[in-house]
Amino acid sequence: MAIAKMNKLAVIGLSRDQNAIIEALMRLGVVQINAQESKLCDEEWNRLVQKDDAAKWISKWDSELDRIESALELLDRFLDRKKPLIRERARISEREFDATLEYEYEIRRQMLKLTRLARHYNHLIFRENRAVTARQALLPWKSYDVPSQEYRTRSTQVWQGVIPGSNDAADFLKILAEKTGYADGEVIHSDSEQHYISVVFYEPAADEVQAVLRDLSFNRISLPIESGSVEEAIRDLDAQLEEYRTEKKSVAEQVRSFESFEPTLKMYHDEIAMRKDRAAIREKILLTDSTFYLEGWYPKIAGEKVEALLREHACYYEITQPKKGEETPILLLNKSIVQPFEAITKLYSLPAANGIDATPFFSFFYALFFGMMLSDAAYGIILTAGTFLIRKKYRLEGMLKQMVDMFFLCGISTTFWGIMFGSFFGDIITQVSTHFFGHAVHFPTVWFSPINDPMRLLFFSLFLGLIHIFLGMGLSARMAIRDGQPLDALFDTGFWYILILSLIGYLGGGMVEGIPAAVTVVCKWLAVASALGIVATGGRQKKGILGKIVGGLGSLYGVTGYLSDILSYSRILALGLATGVISSVFNTLGTLAGTGIMGVLVMLLAFGIGHPYNIAINALGSFVHSCRLQYVEFFGRFYQGGGDSFQPFCENTKYVTILKEEL
Amino acid sequence: MNGITFDGIFFAMAGAAIAGLACCGSAMGIGIAGQAASGVVSEDPKKFGQALLLQALPGTQGIYGLLIAFVIMNKIGLLGGSGALDLTMVQGLYIMASAVPVGLVGIVSGSAQGKAAAAAIMLISKRPEEVAKGMVYTAMVETYAVLALLISFLMLNSIQL
Repeated sequence: MAIAKMNKLAVIGLSRDQNAIIEALMRLGVVQINAQESKLCDEEWNRLVQKDDAAKWISKWDSELDRIESALELLDRFLDRKKPLIRERARISEREFDATLEYEYEIRRQMLKLTRLARHYNHLIFRENRAVTARQALLPWKSYDVPSQEYRTRSTQVWQGVIPGSNDAADFLKILAEKTGYADGEVIHSDSEQHYISVVFYEPAADEVQAVLRDLSFNRISLPIESGSVEEAIRDLDAQLEEYRTEKKSVAEQVRSFESFEPTLKMYHDEIAMRKDRAAIREKILLTDSTFYLEGWYPKIAGEKVEALLREHACYYEITQPKKGEETPILLLNKSIVQPFEAITKLYSLPAANGIDATPFFSFFYALFFGMMLSDAAYGIILTAGTFLIRKKYRLEGMLKQMVDMFFLCGISTTFWGIMFGSFFGDIITQVSTHFFGHAVHFPTVWFSPINDPMRLLFFSLFLGLIHIFLGMGLSARMAIRDGQPLDALFDTGFWYILILSLIGYLGGGMVEGIPAAVTVVCKWLAVASALGIVATGGRQKKGILGKIVGGLGSLYGVTGYLSDILSYSRILALGLATGVISSVFNTLGTLAGTGIMGVLVMLLAFGIGHPYNIAINALGSFVHSCRLQYVEFFGRFYQGGGDSFQPFCENTKYVTILKEEL
Repeated sequence: MNGITFDGIFFAMAGAAIAGLACCGSAMGIGIAGQAASGVVSEDPKKFGQALLLQALPGTQGIYGLLIAFVIMNKIGLLGGSGALDLTMVQGLYIMASAVPVGLVGIVSGSAQGKAAAAAIMLISKRPEEVAKGMVYTAMVETYAVLALLISFLMLNSIQL
């Protein structure tokens, strides 16, 4: 029941109805259409059909989506808005959606205006960057007054360049003058890295001068000037930069005027995305000259609607049950109370088609373990109230919704265990009342306090672990019986039940007084008998007598696995202690500064920093370790994962949810 | 002679200090995970949240150490207003011994968990949807810190002063 039953659907229709049918299937959104590669390889099919080719359309809609996204990105950049914590999809009625898209031509015109603006804006940024770089290169040369048209005259050349700042500029000039009589240098500017030097020389002696310059590690640079002096060029660049800035402002202004267009554009985006999906699905459809063929899965519960749709479009269709052992896509269907815990199952892996959905079985334990690990009434109330407010404020969807709902339930469990164990922000009430008011007031402890009596909680945790593991083994037995192997269920689960229980009775019975000796004796012989049973049956798959014996003994050795699995539940105690003790550490720190104003301030500080930290780190720990207890100890006993999720062909939109009017 | 220089309180405090050493493990572990996290976030800043969750996991060893240190100090009366109890040297040594599991295991499991967390952060750089599996692998290491914490706590709890 927890994994939805799937039926297989094969449809043949007339090509002229194909688009209408695809559109209708998308609106219905419950059929997963399968790829048909295997049919194309089949000789018989291959003669009759060919694959529908939609590559042209897919790329057309893809490039349109790119344009829309760049327009939306531009809007996002210039519209001053607070980014919402959680993105929601707007809800729009189908009629409104269709009415908006009536004006598709106009929407497209506006969108193209935006993309032009985006291009223009990027171009401005590019030119601005270029101008800034040029300006930076010119800045050291600001006082250099030789206009660029005079860098080369009939018999002289003027070079600009740099030498490393570690060289002495005066030396450079001196050596230049000594080595050649045809050149003269001038230092224009010096900074910590370089000296900026202009050299004028007699053209016919260029080779000689250049050799000297090379020896002096003179590095020629060309100034980015077209005409005039450096100062003029800088002034020009400044003017340009100013122009770009105003231009950018005006672009921003123009973009902002599109604000009211944004919702429409988002609808257009989703419309195009759906068209692309409809084009892409054609790749999975086979064609003859005048008919098409498609195949897919749908959940059995949606059968009536699917059939009605197909009848309406006058298709020929055939519905078959999946064959035994056939891989079907997995859709989890659970009652609303355990549905949030599907998130935990999905985080692990969806069950295989012939497995079972563990969600309804572990949900209770997940919340129970989480609550016992966090075990503080105040933290539980914060968690419950926080997730409740998030649910009120936002309309969540999918996995996120399940997680928030799950923490809501875990918060309730945490509150419950906090009250049972008498913890409210640790021992804040006791500490504050003793410290500031002089007489101790305690938060009521309904059951017992784990800090004072850890052994009791340890045994309780192990006891819960035992039940949890037994449940997992029971599920494994159930699967074996379902598959017609009741003996497997007896050998692999029944014997172990008896062995573990009788071992506990034998070992535990001796320690507790008042248990008649007969019980221990019975337990002892039961344990021996079941152990023999395990040895006898554990190796039944193996070949040969020796193999069977070794396999049986190996299987009995599995008792260590059960032992360590059950001991693993001691983490419930450890994490519970961690929460409790850490909060009392912070509360104690808060009382260290006396009872005056300072004392109150320190208390508030320790409270304000300590408890949020403690909630965060311990809620994370409780989440992870509750998961681990499910995944390793529980799932390990029976779970078969690896199913593929059911992905119906539906309106997969990003910005809007289209509400169907019920017919 | 030993009653003066090395009294019970000295050994008990040494025990609290040993428990505190578990923080070394967490520091190493969080450091290792943090390096991997920075690398992954440099490629994709959106993974910051997930990487931070994984980086926080090796932090618990330090918390367990603090927990035992606090319980020791509480037990010997250092934190109450009434002053330290009068311990015999043997009692002090008992307390010191009880702190060894959490302190020693904390160092090793903290850094080992850090390595597992770093690998899990690498995992989310390629498959962010699999963060839960990375968390579970990382939490496997922590089991032994949890067991050490329990051993220390139960030993400490059974010492009568």
